[in-house]
This record gives sequence, C-alpha cells and structure tokens, in this order.
Amino acid sequence: MRGALASGCDFFAGYPITPASPILMMMLRDLPARGGIGMQGEDEIASIGMCIGAAMSGARAMTATSAPGISLYSENIGLAIMGELPLVVVDVQRLGPSTGAATTTAQGDIQFVRWGTGGGFPIIALCPSTIAECYTLTMKAFDLAERFRCPVFLMADKELALTMKSVNPSDYVDVEVRDREVVDPTELDPPLEYRYEPAGDVVPMQLYGGKHPVRFTGSAHTEDAFITKKPDIIGPLNEHLIRKITDHVDEISMVKTDFEDGARTLLVSYGVTAGSMREAVTLVRANGTRVSALTVQSLWPVPESEIVAAAAGVDRVVIAELNPGLYKRELERVIHDVEIVGISRIDGVLISPEQIVEVIV
Amino acid sequence: MAQIPESQQKVKFYQTGTFTVGNRLLDEEHRSVQATIDRSNSLDSGHRACQGCGEALGARFAIDAAIRATGNQLIAANATGCLEVFTTPYPETAWSVPWIHSLFGNAAAVASGIAAAMKVKGREEVRVIAQGGDGGTTDIGFGCLSGTFDRNDDVLYICYNNQAYMNTGVQRSSATPGAARTATTMPVGAEPGNAFNTGKSVPLIAMAHNIPYVATASVHDLHDLENKVTRAMGVRGARYIEIFVPCPLGWGSKPGDTVKVARLAVESGMYPLFEAVDGELTGVTKIRRHMPVGEYLKLQRRFAHVLKPTNAHQLEQLQAIADRNIKRFDLLSREGETS
Repeated sequence: MRGALASGCDFFAGYPITPASPILMMMLRDLPARGGIGMQGEDEIASIGMCIGAAMSGARAMTATSAPGISLYSENIGLAIMGELPLVVVDVQRLGPSTGAATTTAQGDIQFVRWGTGGGFPIIALCPSTIAECYTLTMKAFDLAERFRCPVFLMADKELALTMKSVNPSDYVDVEVRDREVVDPTELDPPLEYRYEPAGDVVPMQLYGGKHPVRFTGSAHTEDAFITKKPDIIGPLNEHLIRKITDHVDEISMVKTDFEDGARTLLVSYGVTAGSMREAVTLVRANGTRVSALTVQSLWPVPESEIVAAAAGVDRVVIAELNPGLYKRELERVIHDVEIVGISRIDGVLISPEQIVEVIV
Repeated sequence: MAQIPESQQKVKFYQTGTFTVGNRLLDEEHRSVQATIDRSNSLDSGHRACQGCGEALGARFAIDAAIRATGNQLIAANATGCLEVFTTPYPETAWSVPWIHSLFGNAAAVASGIAAAMKVKGREEVRVIAQGGDGGTTDIGFGCLSGTFDRNDDVLYICYNNQAYMNTGVQRSSATPGAARTATTMPVGAEPGNAFNTGKSVPLIAMAHNIPYVATASVHDLHDLENKVTRAMGVRGARYIEIFVPCPLGWGSKPGDTVKVARLAVESGMYPLFEAVDGELTGVTKIRRHMPVGEYLKLQRRFAHVLKPTNAHQLEQLQAIADRNIKRFDLLSREGETS
C-alpha cells in the first residue's frame, strides 16, 4: 500500500475480501489526502472496471483482491490486455478453490493469473517474499505497467498481508517509476491509438480529453481502434500483445541469488515460502553442507535464463511452494537433465525450514 | 418482582393480546412457531455467532417458520457471509435442514437451479430458500437476485440486513445508512461516516419486479416475522423478505440490546415494516410508540458522532429520512384517522 502511494498511484478501487481488505481500507483512508480517489465497488467486476476507466483516463490505478476476486476480474483482465492499459492488480492469495479458507495462506494462484483470461496472452507477475519487498515490488509493478502498458500482478499472500511485523524503514527501497508516455493532447494530428509493427514496441498512450477523439475497444481492432476480424490485421495485433512482453523478458526478470561454490543442490522458492528457504539455507550451511538458493521475484514471464544459469552444475533442484507444484512445472519446462524435487503443501500450513532441510540432507 | 405494582413495572411479563414470543396466553393458532413443543430447531444452539447476533435470531425464526409451513420439505442455500461461517465450523453444523453454501454473489441463482431440479424430478413439494447478508444481496448478488425475480423462479430469498459487510470487517455496503461509521466510511471530516443519498432499498426494487410477495421484518417482532415467512411459503414464485438484524460487533451496540435496537429502528421510522403482493403495497406495521431517531442512534457507537452538537445536521438528516418513511408508508395513522 505504501509502495503504491510512493509510486504515485492516484486511483484505487476494490471490494471487501479477506485477506485483501486492509489494502482497500487503507487506500480509502489515505488516497484522498494525497489528491487521489479510493472507491469501493459493489463487486469485483465493478471494482476492476472502475480501474480500467480510470487508467484509460490517465490515472495510475491499482486494485487488490484474493483468488475468488481474480475469478471475477478475469474478463476485465482481458480487456486491460486488449486495450493495452497500465494497471496493477494485487492478489493476496488464500487457500482455494472457491471460498476456500479465507484466513489461510497459499500460493495457489501462480498459474491462475498467468492463464486467467481467454486467449493465453502474457501478463507480468511479481512476487514479494518479505514485507519490505512488498513495497519495492509494488513500485516495480507500477513501473512495468507503464513500460509495457499491460496489467501487472503483485502476488502477495495472506501471511505477508496480515502478519504484523517490525520492519526497518531503510529496508523500504525505492524504485524509479517512470511517467506514462502519452501523446500530447494538443496534437491536432496524433498518431493512431495502437501500433503493431514492430511487434515488440509499445507506443505512447492517447488519453481522453485532447483535441482528437480517442477510441478504446475490447474487440479485435485496427491500429486506430476500429473493430475488425481481418486476419492480416488481428494476427499482427495478437502477435504484438505477445511480443511486447516476450521480447523484453530481460527488462522484467528479477531474482535473488545466494549461490555457493560446489553446491550440489539448488533451492528455488518465491513469496512467503522463500523465507523458509532462506532459513533452511542457514541451517544446512551451519552443518557444513553446501547449497545454493534462488528466489524468483518475477514469476511471469519466467526468468528462464536466470533459472538455467542457477541450475548449471547442480545435481538436484528443490522447489518449495504452497500449491500442488504449480511453478515446478515451469522449472521442468526450463531445466533439463537435472532432478527436480517439489516440496508442496496445500493444507494451509507454511512449509517449515526443517521440511526443506530434510529433503536436502 | 411480583411485589411491584403493575403501574410501576417497566416490562409486562405476560401481556395478553400481544405477540410476545412464547406467550402461552394466546390461543393455539396464534402462538409462535418457537412457542410450540414440536418446534424444529432449524438452527441449533452451539453455533459460533457473536453474543446478541441479530442474524442468528432472525435466521432461526425464519427457517423454523418455513419448515413448519412446508412440512419440513425445505432446502436452504446460503451466500458467503457470517451466517455461513458461524453455522458450519468443523466439526459441527448448526443446520438441521439440507444446506448448500454457494458463492458470495450467486445464492439466488443456485437456489433457482435447485428449484428447477426439483421441478424436473417431480419433487415440487420441496421448497427452496436462499439466504444472504446485505452485501451478498444488495451488492455482489444483486444481478443474480434480479434474474431470479425476473424469471419468477420458485424461490424465497431472505436477506439478513445488518447494513454492512460484517464478515470481512465491517465495510460499507449499499444497505449502510447515511452517517454510519464503517471501516470504509470513517467518521472524519465535515460529513463523517457514510454519505447520505447513497444506497438502495432492495425491497422496493423487488416490488418493481412485480413478484408475488415482498416483505420487510425485524427481529424485535418475531411473531410478525414468522407470519411473513409463513405467508411467503404459501405462494409459488419469486418472493423476497428482508429482515432487519442488528449486529452488536459492527454497530457498537450492547449484545443485550439487539432486540431493543431493532425495535427502536422500527418505532422511529428508520426501518419501515411492510408487505407487498404482486408489486402493490398491501400492508404496513403501524408504529405503536413513536420514538425520535436519536433514541435509536444513541445505543450504537457507529452513530456516536451524529449525536455531537457539531454534527446536528446529520441527526436532522436521519430524522428527515425517518419522517419521510413515516409519511410514505403511513406508519403513524390509526384506523379511522386520516393521514
């Protein structure tokens, strides 16, 4: 929440849902004093819809929910992808499916946000593993949303959101959040709303209120936002929606490494579980065993080259996550000829450092 | 107690001719469902509701009355919310009826599906009730609810209205009254609490669907509540009952004052009790002892700021709402009087 304010977020809309409600309540309390607006929708569909309208009109918008809310966001996430809107979506994960266990932690939405709307188009998802990282990665999320004009997810969880913890203020590291690139509103003959060539490029946004009537549509569209289904137009459109992210994975990839020479095992984790992994590393090394660790901060797109590099030379990769092995699938896709072991819990209990140590030793 | 002269008694313990629950002086026919030896205990003791929970009280009386009216041929659907959570924590359930937990926003639709399935299976004697709080009804569940009304599906939808999202930590809903403090409408600034001229009356919106039966009820008048549920179960098609259920936790009222708070809401005109058939108003419960709105507000900390001299304008606004209700529903005039 503090990260959002530091990023210049000036619009928030949300709907009560445990464990994301504190973000809603704090934004409603604190945004007006900073010249922003916080709104409570009548449901999740309305809340993210308000964010879409606000983002289209120039606001730096954020919303926050938990898994059942992401389900209701689904169609609007597609709209944000299709309309190329910068938007930050916080998913405070809880144990699912359905209503699940509202006050129980999980990391079960990792694949859900990636594939959560029709079409399979890429999104960006960041995952903080400490409270200080929530701050920093929220700022990073706003920056990436502006850079790529797309929805960016911040994958928090119930433990990070609802656990009271003392944090050293100096741990809150600021990230520069770029200004939105927009077309000069006084431009009488502005460029078209969208551009699909070169496919990997992102063009400045046109905002409402200038000299030129701006069109925005969730339908497949031409570069000037007229509805079409001509294959030679919507092919490049969809290619662009993919390539603008996949061509720039290097700009997005964020991992934290803790490598040790001669380590035979690489530990991989993310989010709250990475805390247990760090503790496990300390325990194992105290015993004289060499081990390396990789914390993935940018879950989507998958930081493939960083993962491959980290796994080079080890016999075994161990991934700990609070789901049935959702990110293990990505490791299996990326890493070859190395044994990959998953530690999973889906009973609402955190993976303990000891549980990880048992697998290593 | 018996020594106190009747004129000095604050409470009359056996008021003949009233509908005090359990009043054995009433004739058999007029006794409440709860007063009878064969009551069904639809919502059994031991659940985890807070002390003084109006919703628990309302749900039990409503569902018991429905069980009686249907000969125990009843399925209850339940939107996500306090009622769902406090009645079914592992390893026990308080429900003695078949019970389906839906999502937060689709209880009406799930109930429509149950009713349709019963029809297909030739089990139309089995009746369906959907239940939800005000958030699940007036906000996120509103689309599904309107659809159920629109198709006139054979469902009684009961909304337990405690005027905010209590299960998630007392956030404002579109049933929250003006000036009320919630976690998202804090009592700060020149207009503290929830904004006036917002929100909606789902009973009136339900009437606009011209469905067979709409009513409002309150947990201070349980006999009336039971009668309305019984009447609703006597007709087929989409029906809606909204029950006013104080929430001590969210409202900052004493658990022991739940019934009193509910009574004052009605007696002040803040919560009018009425019935409508086929979209037409057919009856209102007259106010027996008209109270100023301040008497209702002062029992609840969510309105504490309203009673400060600096916020006198908010008290006036709330009084004006009550006065408008009294006029609109003709809550004060007696038979033979002209209003």
